Amino acid sequence: MRAYYRIGERKDVVWYNGYEREYGEPDANILERIVVLEGLEAAIRRIPDVTYWKQMFQRRREWEQQGAGRTVVWIGTDITQGVVPVEKEERLWRDVTGWCYQQLAQLCDRVDRIWCGLAERMK
Amino acid sequence: MIVFISGGVRSGKSRIAETYVQKLAAPGSQVHYIATARASDDEMKQRIAHHQKRRQKQTVKWATWEQPVRLDKLIPVFTKNDVVLLDCVTNWLANELFADESWQKETVCFRKARQMWATLQQLENASRALIIVSNELFSGGVPDDLGTYHFMKTLGWLHQQIVTNAQVAILVQNGIAVVKKGESCL
Repeated sequence: MRAYYRIGERKDVVWYNGYEREYGEPDANILERIVVLEGLEAAIRRIPDVTYWKQMFQRRREWEQQGAGRTVVWIGTDITQGVVPVEKEERLWRDVTGWCYQQLAQLCDRVDRIWCGLAERMK
Repeated sequence: MIVFISGGVRSGKSRIAETYVQKLAAPGSQVHYIATARASDDEMKQRIAHHQKRRQKQTVKWATWEQPVRLDKLIPVFTKNDVVLLDCVTNWLANELFADESWQKETVCFRKARQMWATLQQLENASRALIIVSNELFSGGVPDDLGTYHFMKTLGWLHQQIVTNAQVAILVQNGIAVVKKGESCL
């Protein structure tokens, strides 16, 4: 992803890490043109609400479309392929993550599955 | 050359890796097995015994090296005609990271991972072929505790370096080898 968007060479990138803190509300006034949101499944865990995320995806998408050369990159770990968790809360998180990823895949122009740095383009 | 073989637990990756070793060995090649697991409890002892038994049944004569950390020490042992199987990166990384308390710092973890990557390249250059076995443990989510988080992050980084430089990269699922990069020589 860093290589594809040449993240290292650009100065107009803002990077949110969901493992470290919340993404917060999207800021429409930012000057950067590339927004990366990493650790999506961790962010979903804090707010396991499909409606909330649908709205977030839509708002980021709108921001992207409002300016030339803008790109929003969502990065998430696929947590949906393990054994069904015993705890209800864990099941909910997994379900919401699965639904959110479906929503995102529908909304996005490009979808890749990454294995060891190899990208398999799905869309 | 590097052949990378990854897979879930009990997926048959060791068996496929051993087949690769036999295919890549030339007449007169010594085949080496680097075991990185520590027999820390009964379950681990059983797992190790299971792998040892299978290797003993094979016609090839393995030279086994039990080396949980500092694999660079083995570099002088190999010749350019030898085939080396490293089983596995996951245990090796855990042994290196959790050898002391420095796993709490991400920079230290990455320094260790970079050293491991340098060692892997040296092992590749010192041998005819290096077959690297690792584990797929990225489907269970990213854990909250810092140690496991750093472990997964550095393991993912190592996997990327290995696959970028490997001639063949294989994902084993249910005993079936899916070739993700290069061409299978099986």
